[in-house]
Amino acid sequence: MPLYTVGRRRVIIALLLTGALLLTLDLRGNPVLDTVRDGFSRAMVPVEQATDVVTTPVQRAWNSFSNYDDLERENQALRDEIDRQRGTQATAEASIIDYQLLLALNNLPSLSGIETAKAQVVGGATNNIDQIVEINKGSDSGIAVGMPVVNQAGLIGKITQVNATTSKVMLVTDPRYSIPVEILGGTGELDAGEEPTDTTPSGRTEEELDEIIDQSIADAEAADAAENVESTPADVFEDEVPLPQAGGPNEATTTTTTSLPEAVPTGEEAPVVTDPDGNPIDAPSTTTTTTIALDPDQLEKEFGVLQGRGQGRPPQVRFLQDIPSLAVLQVGDLIETAGGSQSLAPPNIPVGRVINRANRPGVAGPLLEIELNADLDKLNFVRVVLFQPLTEVAE
Amino acid sequence: MFAAFVQSSLIRLIPVGMVMLALQRTVFVDIKVSGVTVQVVLALAAAAGASGGSERGAVAGFVLGTMFDLVEGTPLGSTAIAFTVAGAAAGLLALIAADPQWWLKAIFVGLGCAAGEAMLPVVRIFIGEESPWPANMPKVILIVALTGALMSPVLLPLSRWCLKIRGPAWTAPAEQPPI
Repeated sequence: MPLYTVGRRRVIIALLLTGALLLTLDLRGNPVLDTVRDGFSRAMVPVEQATDVVTTPVQRAWNSFSNYDDLERENQALRDEIDRQRGTQATAEASIIDYQLLLALNNLPSLSGIETAKAQVVGGATNNIDQIVEINKGSDSGIAVGMPVVNQAGLIGKITQVNATTSKVMLVTDPRYSIPVEILGGTGELDAGEEPTDTTPSGRTEEELDEIIDQSIADAEAADAAENVESTPADVFEDEVPLPQAGGPNEATTTTTTSLPEAVPTGEEAPVVTDPDGNPIDAPSTTTTTTIALDPDQLEKEFGVLQGRGQGRPPQVRFLQDIPSLAVLQVGDLIETAGGSQSLAPPNIPVGRVINRANRPGVAGPLLEIELNADLDKLNFVRVVLFQPLTEVAE
Repeated sequence: MFAAFVQSSLIRLIPVGMVMLALQRTVFVDIKVSGVTVQVVLALAAAAGASGGSERGAVAGFVLGTMFDLVEGTPLGSTAIAFTVAGAAAGLLALIAADPQWWLKAIFVGLGCAAGEAMLPVVRIFIGEESPWPANMPKVILIVALTGALMSPVLLPLSRWCLKIRGPAWTAPAEQPPI
């Protein structure tokens, strides 16, 4: 029997040509194929739900087998980091509110006036090429193709396919994703020559995690009573949490210094404070807060286009002019969405920071590699910004 | 036409493919080996080729790939072409042995998976995508092939059932009258 007959070859070639034909029809847009796709997706819903219920123990067993140790250390480090950041959060929120008020006063667009739809990620990328996740909200919630999707850390992607109750989100790292961004030149620090290091999902190295945990243990031992704060997903994702928004680059910065009364060691009597005449003075029982206004740094913006590069590669920003008189781009600079009438996202959504700069010869301008604020490997709750660009609203 | 559909292997392949797709989108999204997503539907297409030959493997790969494209929203036909190649490649490799051992079939399935996974970005290049290659493409292909080979003891009987392939029936030679 011949190994490779004409009949076999014909069948395989016919199937490949049929695939190419389907590809052509689908890329040009075909309502029949869209209907078939929608119908098959609906037919798959009950099968997936049943499979999900049946296989949940397997998933949990695998997760506990493969992630338990990392998660425990990560959880301990993150709890400590949350405690540290809670102190600076109030000041940051006040700055954002001031910024929003200023924008409203000047009739400038801001994220505060845009409605959002909360959603949960219910499915991840099922192949090793596409960077697409599925969320449990669709057109019934007012979601449309093109809307940006964010979480508390910043931009994570855009809607590319909408069904009634589910939507597909193309992540920022997908090679097909691109969006206009602005780089706040001068917000970073020059640290050229720094070698990349292996990090945990939170972006920290093992040594940094150990330091955080050691510091946390030392703090806990030093304190008389450690406060144990439990948080739930609902707390993290409550309605009052504002959308992530970067402040204005040139707005004034204030530094708040809080002086606490010195602690009296346990078991000792409080020292009696007297005036020059020897009369006792009541020790202060309240805190003293001093607010110092700092001179605003004159930061300059540069505009470019952010493009994803696939799994395992950091996104890049291209089409930069890099004119030193406008902005000096360097590692650590902040990246946020630029907005504009053609952009699918409103301005000032934080995206990430520059981690590498590659100079190119000629007028091509530099390439910037960026590290995203959001951890795309561990997405859970997200918000779809119900934003449509002015060009589409006008239509 | 309906009778032909009922009598064909599609009547079994489509529901099994739906269950496999559901598994791919639930369990195997979480179960990643060294950061690489295990491709169970691709492994089923390759197993169909290893057990039924290149022709049946190509048909099974095409059907499973089309279902994958329909659910995932990827360009319709892109995954179908890659899975067709996987099924055909595994089937062609299986022709080198008349009745291969189970471990040899597992190797065929693994190689078919590798061919299909390598074909995915190639198809994407043809439709104009920029740099569809993952940064760790050799590792992705290797792990997809190894996991496909590991799953083959389960997937090979399943694919034989889907394609209505009966095992070889060995019969004892008739006794020859003494000369």
